[in-house]
Amino acid sequence: MTITTKDTDNTLRTVTASGGQAEPGVPGRFSGSWLREQLIRHAMVVVMVLIIAYFSYRSAQFGTLENWQTIAIAAAPFALIALGQTLVILTGGIDLSVGSVIAVSAMAAAATVKDHPERLLLAVLVAAFVGLLAGSINGLLVARLNVPPFIATLGMLTTASGFAYVIGNGAPINGLPPNFGSIANSTVFGIEVPVLVMIAGILVLAVVMSRTSYGMRVYAVGGNRAAAELAGIKVPRVLFSVYAISGLLAGLSGVILASRVISGPPDLGTAYELDAIAAVVIGGASLMGGRGTVWGTALGLLLIQTLNNGLDLLVVPEYWQNVIKGGLIVTAVAVDVWATRRRS
Amino acid sequence: MTAAGDVPALECAGLTKSFGGIPVLRGVSLRLEAGAVTALVGENGAGKSTAMKIAAGQLKADTGSVTVNGTGLHRADPGLARQLGVAIVPQELAPIEDMTVYENLFLGRELRSRTGLLDRRGMIADARHLLDEFAIDVDPTTKMRRLSVAMSQIVEIAKATSWGAKVIMLDEPTSAIPEREVARLYDVMARLRDDGVAMLYTTHKMDEIRAIADRVVVLRDGALVLDRPVVDTTDEEIVQATIGRDLDDLFPSVPAPRDDVALEIDDLHVVGFDAPISFSVRRGEILGLAGLVGAGRTELLEAIFGKRATVGGQVRVAGKPVKRSPAASINAGMALVPEDRKGAGLVLSMNVLDNGSLPRLAHFSAAGWLRQRHRRRAVGDAMTSVALRSRGLTQPTGTLSGGNQQKVVLARWLTEPVDVLLLDEPTRGVDVGARSEIYRIIAQLAASGMAVVLASSDMPEVLGLSHRILVLRSGAVAGGLDGDAITAPDVQRTIFHLAAGFDPETGEPEATPQLAKEHRS
Repeated sequence: MTITTKDTDNTLRTVTASGGQAEPGVPGRFSGSWLREQLIRHAMVVVMVLIIAYFSYRSAQFGTLENWQTIAIAAAPFALIALGQTLVILTGGIDLSVGSVIAVSAMAAAATVKDHPERLLLAVLVAAFVGLLAGSINGLLVARLNVPPFIATLGMLTTASGFAYVIGNGAPINGLPPNFGSIANSTVFGIEVPVLVMIAGILVLAVVMSRTSYGMRVYAVGGNRAAAELAGIKVPRVLFSVYAISGLLAGLSGVILASRVISGPPDLGTAYELDAIAAVVIGGASLMGGRGTVWGTALGLLLIQTLNNGLDLLVVPEYWQNVIKGGLIVTAVAVDVWATRRRS
Repeated sequence: MTAAGDVPALECAGLTKSFGGIPVLRGVSLRLEAGAVTALVGENGAGKSTAMKIAAGQLKADTGSVTVNGTGLHRADPGLARQLGVAIVPQELAPIEDMTVYENLFLGRELRSRTGLLDRRGMIADARHLLDEFAIDVDPTTKMRRLSVAMSQIVEIAKATSWGAKVIMLDEPTSAIPEREVARLYDVMARLRDDGVAMLYTTHKMDEIRAIADRVVVLRDGALVLDRPVVDTTDEEIVQATIGRDLDDLFPSVPAPRDDVALEIDDLHVVGFDAPISFSVRRGEILGLAGLVGAGRTELLEAIFGKRATVGGQVRVAGKPVKRSPAASINAGMALVPEDRKGAGLVLSMNVLDNGSLPRLAHFSAAGWLRQRHRRRAVGDAMTSVALRSRGLTQPTGTLSGGNQQKVVLARWLTEPVDVLLLDEPTRGVDVGARSEIYRIIAQLAASGMAVVLASSDMPEVLGLSHRILVLRSGAVAGGLDGDAITAPDVQRTIFHLAAGFDPETGEPEATPQLAKEHRS
């Protein structure tokens, strides 16, 4: 029986609350083995710290504020789809379509701006709508027609990508008005808009997942669908909602990405779903559902983006970057699984 | 039968075993003779399965020894146990459903031709020969999925004998198979006994002990309390040894039901059932649902709760019709404690508090926000009312004992008033102590004015708690008992005859209950 990350925190609290009482198997609070337990418990944080320490040591530029801003801006579009992916994975599903949904909503936004150069809000709304629509179709397929999530979203991956090319007649949409870039490139209170959106997204979803009945329903559906049903939870509704949210967030991610490059490339977002899934899994979520947290995903996202950035700074060739990244992702998760098993 | 003094086929001496500091076996010694059948009896949690697993090399005893035909089995090594000729047929079989019978029979030791490819023809021929020996009319090329549970079990036994097992242990072989197929199992066991195989099987049912066993061994709380030839032992002695007291002490007294009806079932036609079902339950009344496995007890409860599809009829709680969905049923004041506690009752990855909040999330939230203090208090009170033993509300339910898990599944409903409590096998997998506690809770809840429907395959449980009993047979009510009929001395026989469709006068089957295993999935 694995203990969820969420419950780990609780277990921790329980143990702490019981003070110095020597439960069997729980080492004393201030002994060396206590420290070791804590390190194992938070293995992923330890990995993160080590990676940051290494890059800081190797590159003077890495630790600067500007660089962290660069990391945050690069992380933002991934953060949105990783958040949506977290919800989907918590229900035991998977959303493979987010990369293509980014492409089709970016193309839709670009096409809108091309026709109505002044109507930026409309472009954002169109992208959000397209994303929501794609997500809702995924949701209908999974929740109502019981199509396995892998298959339903694989279909959407191909279909949405196809539509992205249809919108641009097989070519990128270029020559957009420069003000299209103001969506993603402007700042509020000195912070770039995408970073603000990312932070808001993380905070909102973290609260939703831990403090609302909706969050608990998502955990329950993923943890044990039959039990959730018997507890009166309308499982199809919950399933539909997570795919719709995932699609909506992918749509927003699409318009941010398009605005950053002030064009509409139909191959935008290709394979982004893989990084999003990796972030969620590194964050400690179980692909079987019911286990995982928004904070974990944020941490996983940070790990991947830090790696991308640090390896760039060290001028590691791109192909080797992939090799290192892949290896580290698997290692990090293996360590986490090992630590979880040790704990229980 | 082997004369005393010979080397026994299997001997366990002074086995002890603890899990997480809790002793499960406290010094069990047991001899199995070649050509003899031993029934291993005991409550859930008495240590039967653990003892079997140790004997089969799946677990290592903390102290004590296992000797197979004179050779010691010193470590937990199922492969070695198998070499020594010990086979175990688990309660929950795990055949590979999409493979054929012969493929399952030869799994892991497939025959190969000289080219290194599978010798399918050879395997089919051998399998057919083997099945013929057991007089089983099954084509070896049938998919395992198409076999009934009993047949799968017999195939499993055949598999064990095919590699020369001399000791075969069967964990509750009859728990999942219909009565008429039990006879086939007995035939197979008798045949093996004649061949000199030593057999051990666990059971809860008296008539199954009498039907085939030569010896009966009773475990209680991890200790061996009775070991005698069956012919020298009375039913009373076995029951007393099993539960350690008279049956009457286990069950609390339940006050008489009130007059007002809480639950009315009108011509409810469950999909897959032959006929609609009608009955009503009054406040304070406990209605027992008896019947064989596959009779439709679980299906009926799920249908009442709106979980399973119905094609007609109505369910009313306190006079008001209830829409057919779990959410509507919960709102109307119904509560269901499902049969499969881990599969359908709890979300094991969640803690006690969250599991306790799930059925009444709407009550614990305002505009979607969880009211933390409110739910902590309500769930905490409910858990206290059933004397839950846990490290607190934040303990993950996966780490609770079976009895305490069941208390969570039950108590989570009690944060709001409940009119109708539907219980499906409420004490399955629960140890004796927690069991009597759960009985007391059920009696209290009934006394407080709930209408209780109790479905159980445990006959003493149904008899000990119910005011009234309905017996189901293949998706229809086969009969009902109340008042004096429940306390009559031959009531178990009466219920069994109703459940199995035997005519009490002639002992002949009236109609064959068709109990496909798909029925339950």
